[in-house]
Amino acid sequence: MMLLPLLLAIEIGEGDPGLALRLQRREPQAMAELYDRYGRLVYSLIVRIVRDSAIAEDLVQETFLRVWNRVHGFDAGKGALGPWLLAVARNRAIDYLRSAGSRLRNALELEETEHPASFADFEKDIFRADRVARVKAALAKLSANQRTVIELAYFEGLSQTEMAERTGQPLGTIKTWVRTALKSLRDELGTVAPA
Amino acid sequence: MSCDDLRDSYELYALGVLEEPESGEIRAHLERGCPACQSGVRGARQSMALLGATAPPMPPPARLGLRVRAAVAGGRGIRWSWAPAWAAVATAAVVAALVFHAREQHAADELARAQAHSAAHTRELARLNRALDILNQPDARQVVFGAGPQPPRGRVFLDSRRGVLLLASNLPPAPAGKAYEMWVIPKGGKPLPAGMFQAATDWTAMHVLPGPVDLTGAGAVAVTLERESGVPQPTSQPVILAAL
Repeated sequence: MMLLPLLLAIEIGEGDPGLALRLQRREPQAMAELYDRYGRLVYSLIVRIVRDSAIAEDLVQETFLRVWNRVHGFDAGKGALGPWLLAVARNRAIDYLRSAGSRLRNALELEETEHPASFADFEKDIFRADRVARVKAALAKLSANQRTVIELAYFEGLSQTEMAERTGQPLGTIKTWVRTALKSLRDELGTVAPA
Repeated sequence: MSCDDLRDSYELYALGVLEEPESGEIRAHLERGCPACQSGVRGARQSMALLGATAPPMPPPARLGLRVRAAVAGGRGIRWSWAPAWAAVATAAVVAALVFHAREQHAADELARAQAHSAAHTRELARLNRALDILNQPDARQVVFGAGPQPPRGRVFLDSRRGVLLLASNLPPAPAGKAYEMWVIPKGGKPLPAGMFQAATDWTAMHVLPGPVDLTGAGAVAVTLERESGVPQPTSQPVILAAL
């Protein structure tokens, strides 16, 4: 599995709390280590979203700078750096897609999704290889339509109304696909949301 | 709405793609401290983070790491882990290699700066396009604020489909670690955060809240000085208050 070395690398060495503290102390070397730990994951996600490696490089740089500039609001003891980084990366990439496509939507929701405080009390080692494999397996079990809407939501940041416009399907149909897809993912992943 | 009603929306909320009024309802519900829904949204955020990790792995180019390091170092230089080895180099051959490397590094830095410059221009253009998009709406509402000579003055343009545009002058740059935060304030309701911005060195500012905005019942647009990372509710008196 190509992702395995990366995921193993994330497991090794100083944990997120220590690294976050050093980032808050403005140690540039800590940023270098953060990049070494998560750079490939961030780059892969952004390339998947914008599908342009040159633009992805700019957005990766923006992502790490944004984290560097906002890390003082991050709870080093409870926070999860990796998920926060990915949220910032996704938002930067989707913001680029929206700008490039003159697709305007309320930016408040995106801002909210990357607030540092939103990444407290996550489970440890969230990007373990077996967890990612479970998510991939759960996605593979979805129908083509269900997988499409989940990908449009995650990788393109489309609302359900925008998905209906994009796919030419009635909004009600889109909502049904989204709800059933999310329910299926929850059932497969177990503890995603409490009952 | 009850927790059961909101449960199906956790992931969409975590993704930032939930639409109003559901988005506002779940936000208000979470602000009331519902532990079940807070736990549910946290679980959804974890799942969404894992979705990001399913992107096909792509190795970033080596120069990208240098760019990130250079951007953070901000010209102050970085203590590279291999720097001590350089200090030990004494032979002319290695010196030559260092010179070559320095030239290559310089070129990479120049390229990084040019790319960052270009990206900044693209973003600024997108921002201006958003502002023009609001200004071009024939039905956009316009409100003037700050009639006196001293306070910040300017105009707010509001369009329920396109967003809110704030143009201000006589607004001093925020102190270090601070930024201005715009709010849309419903009549009798809590201010809704509408984004952070900075004033330019000539004491002017332009801020856009793009996208659909619920302006029914909105009583004012305000700006307060807050910490740079933003706050969920204002903590200081408005420096700009435009009554609608």
